[in-house]
Amino acid sequence: MTLQQPALTATAAVARPARRRDKGRLFQEIGMLAPAVVLLTIFLIVPFLLSFWTAMTNQPLVPRPTPVRFIGLTNFLRILKDDLFWTSLWNVSRFTFWILPVQCGLAFATALLLHQKLPFRNFFRGLFFLPAITSMVVVCVIWGTLFQYPTGPLNQVIGFLSGGHIQPIDWLGDPNWAMFSIVLLSAWQAYGFQMIVYLAGLQGIPDELYDAARIDGANAFQRFWHVTMPGLRPTHVFVLVITTIQAFKLYTQVAVLTQGGPKSSTETVVHYMVRTGFEEQKLGLASAVSVILFLIVLVIALLQRQLLRRFDV
Amino acid sequence: MSDLVLSPTQMEVKRERSAIGSLRLVQTACILVIALVIVSPLFMLLVASLKDDRFQILADMGSFRAFWVSNPTLSNFAEVGNLTGELAYGRYLLNSLFILACTVGAGLIVNSMAGFVLAWGSLRGRALILSLVIALYVIPQESIIMPLVIMVSRAGMTDTFAVQIVPWVASPLYIFLFYQFFAQLPKELFEAAEMDGASVFRIYRSIFLPLSLPALATVSILMGIEAWNQYLWPILVTQTDYARPIAVAIATFFGQDSIYWDRAMAASVLMMIPILALYLAFQRWFVSSFVGSAVKG
Repeated sequence: MTLQQPALTATAAVARPARRRDKGRLFQEIGMLAPAVVLLTIFLIVPFLLSFWTAMTNQPLVPRPTPVRFIGLTNFLRILKDDLFWTSLWNVSRFTFWILPVQCGLAFATALLLHQKLPFRNFFRGLFFLPAITSMVVVCVIWGTLFQYPTGPLNQVIGFLSGGHIQPIDWLGDPNWAMFSIVLLSAWQAYGFQMIVYLAGLQGIPDELYDAARIDGANAFQRFWHVTMPGLRPTHVFVLVITTIQAFKLYTQVAVLTQGGPKSSTETVVHYMVRTGFEEQKLGLASAVSVILFLIVLVIALLQRQLLRRFDV
Repeated sequence: MSDLVLSPTQMEVKRERSAIGSLRLVQTACILVIALVIVSPLFMLLVASLKDDRFQILADMGSFRAFWVSNPTLSNFAEVGNLTGELAYGRYLLNSLFILACTVGAGLIVNSMAGFVLAWGSLRGRALILSLVIALYVIPQESIIMPLVIMVSRAGMTDTFAVQIVPWVASPLYIFLFYQFFAQLPKELFEAAEMDGASVFRIYRSIFLPLSLPALATVSILMGIEAWNQYLWPILVTQTDYARPIAVAIATFFGQDSIYWDRAMAASVLMMIPILALYLAFQRWFVSSFVGSAVKG
């Protein structure tokens, strides 16, 4: 299996010999393409371009009698001077730092386990995917109770396992723990998806490679290190990049459970953007945040393309 | 006899077998632990939704009673399952189902038609449109949402179903998935139909679409889950009960001073039922859809 980004494959397939064109056919094709093009233009391209423009104005949320003014890069400068913005960026970085090993590591380990010929492995595969189809809001209801302080299930389990040595943790109320708690529930929710991707990656490695390694006298660890890991390189890149992009867009969990608190310890970039736009009603400022978010995502996506190009061909 | 005295090679084989056996045991144990971590929160949700007393739910959380209900009752569901009034979660559920059905229905048609023309059309500039569509895929929903809110409120679309459906019908990812699926079907299929004088739309409608069940299923599932779980967009564009989806309604439980966990649990179970039913019915499709989106997109 090769993991490919659309951009790498698309152009090659388009080139087909031009056929005889007649007008009726052309009209039909335009008619079939039009709904998608019109919708994408109105609801994706226009707002996207508009966000760059709005970011350079003092656009309020509710129209005011005073006209909207062009103010250049002022919004960007204000954001870059706002400590809360940097806090939010720092927080999503912390989130990324934790979610990558917890979620991807767990997903990888589970995929390796389920790739073995264990009994009922398809059953477990289906079971582990359940949280991934559970809505994040429902996940928040579930984990909101698990995180209860001081006698919630999670604290009870930890107290029991540590023989009462670890004091109950105020998961969502302690600024030192809040972001990690968000990491835990996010990993629980989304890890089934990564697991499935890793399983597909493992199935893509031909058995002959393992047989050849075995004949050469490679032990289990050597086979893992020299056959499995290189074979999974594109999968690793894909999983890490997708998880990182998702992490930078972190919003729902935080909005529902902590509203960015306590003490801004779970403030995220998107939450900061929504607050600026809708509570402070400064849409221009919020658009500037959205432009910055887009640039971050773009850089990560380009990085992925570079990495894949290096590994793939 | 020879069971007791083993030759060196036999001993080696036996040792290897027992090593594999104990490895299997460790692996199975790991799987069971993970299964416990994954399933117990979900099971707890179900159990708690059947308990009547919200204080009892929290009190039970600290013990194994979280996984047991002695006198199950559906009263929570009766409380939140209304179609009107304050706890109209029945209505919110129907709202969400309606939004899901319209988004997926329209999305399948619009995106598959576009994907088909991009794969088989004779239109000049197809390659350009295709690369544009792929480039658009990078733009996250979160970064266009601010201007989009202004646009739809200017158009007077706030608090409608349309505002939750129309913007997300056409999608670069799904156009690309359809394009990719159609492009790998054999050329002869198209040419033979064309020879018979079928129009482009006819070829799409009667030949390619019936063959694209896997693509239709994949896109339906991905789009459906996406529409079902929308949260940020609807909180920005819905103010009243009229078109409020269930995800937004469940989140309002957290805004209260004291959370009605009993109701929140029941509403959550309500929200899980449709997607769970679909998942159980089409499990294989679900899993492969997500792999497909990962591999291709």
